[in-house]
Amino acid sequence: MDLTTSDLADGTVVTLVGRFDAHEVPAFRDSVAPLLDRDGDLVVDLFSVVFIDSSALAELVRTSKLAKERDTRFALRNLSAPVRVILELTGLHLALEVEDAATVREPS
Amino acid sequence: MTVDTYRSYREWATTKLATRPQVSVVIPAYNEEIRILPTVGAIATHMSSRGEPWELIVADDGSSDTTVALLSGLRFPNMRVLTTDRNGGKGSAVRRGIAAASGEYILFADADQSTPIEQFDHMFTRMREEGLDLLVGSRAAHGARVSGKSILRRVLSRGLRTFVRVLFDIRVRDTQCGFKLFRAETAREIFARQVIDGFSFDLEIIYLCHRLGFKVDEIPVEWIDAPGSKVDEAKVVARFLVDLAHIRLNDLRGRYEPRPTVSASVPAPRSRTHGPDDL
Repeated sequence: MDLTTSDLADGTVVTLVGRFDAHEVPAFRDSVAPLLDRDGDLVVDLFSVVFIDSSALAELVRTSKLAKERDTRFALRNLSAPVRVILELTGLHLALEVEDAATVREPS
Repeated sequence: MTVDTYRSYREWATTKLATRPQVSVVIPAYNEEIRILPTVGAIATHMSSRGEPWELIVADDGSSDTTVALLSGLRFPNMRVLTTDRNGGKGSAVRRGIAAASGEYILFADADQSTPIEQFDHMFTRMREEGLDLLVGSRAAHGARVSGKSILRRVLSRGLRTFVRVLFDIRVRDTQCGFKLFRAETAREIFARQVIDGFSFDLEIIYLCHRLGFKVDEIPVEWIDAPGSKVDEAKVVARFLVDLAHIRLNDLRGRYEPRPTVSASVPAPRSRTHGPDDL
């Protein structure tokens, strides 16, 4: 999985590309941890994530809790179809903030 | 994928098929409460996006966790969950799944999504173009992409492959990958003869296909080791070697002669479709 971060006016966007599974959780955690202490929102863009497993879902929930403790807004953006479906099946679309939740995006 | 992918999934998830499925996806599952929902989600999304009518069959293998309850709660009209009281082994679970499948083609896929479902696309194309009876996803064929597999497992796999090739003259290099596509008639004939209940059933079905003259080939796939694998290398190797001997003996004793029907050869499963009508 590739991970890039972009600084925007209202916070930071972490863009993930590929398969987000247990193998990728340590790298995600290391990259996101310092971002939680920055000012502004923390948003994860899942436009190009083709699969997300239970470990990765748990990590998103963990990150969301840490963000809340720091009064940082944490949200998911641009869900790919499989990510949206997996979030719905696990019920986590209700536990995590999803921007523009009615819209699903597709990689071309 | 098209922009209609999510809509296609919702259609499949809410409306019962009016026609025979072209593809049945069979997933054997044993205590998969951690992994099963992401796997079902990925498979349902991708297969629905393709456009062919398809069904999903999860053959639970006597799970003692919440696997069956999680699946039942989905209430998908085109998904069946086969349950049984005892843990009979992966081979027995797949056999029950094959017996229940009604598609023209049957994909058997592991519950851990270690072979991404997107790999189905080039398999299905080649299966039909070449008129194959069985197409085996392979981690050993040229062009395969394997990641996360330990050096120990790589060495053991290579050793066992060599052993299988010498002993059985099977040209398929990776008999054990949990991603295989069958023509339904072939699957029914093979699984009516197949007797091994454990994980070596993969080798047995390929052996039977070769013995009966079915058209078999392998195709390179992407494979990512799924953390939390239940594989114990030492036990796997020991069991595999014992099963190799059993397959030879079974053949010599005539146990691979045809039986009446596949459904008659398996313990009666408590099979039901978990859908809105059930609740």
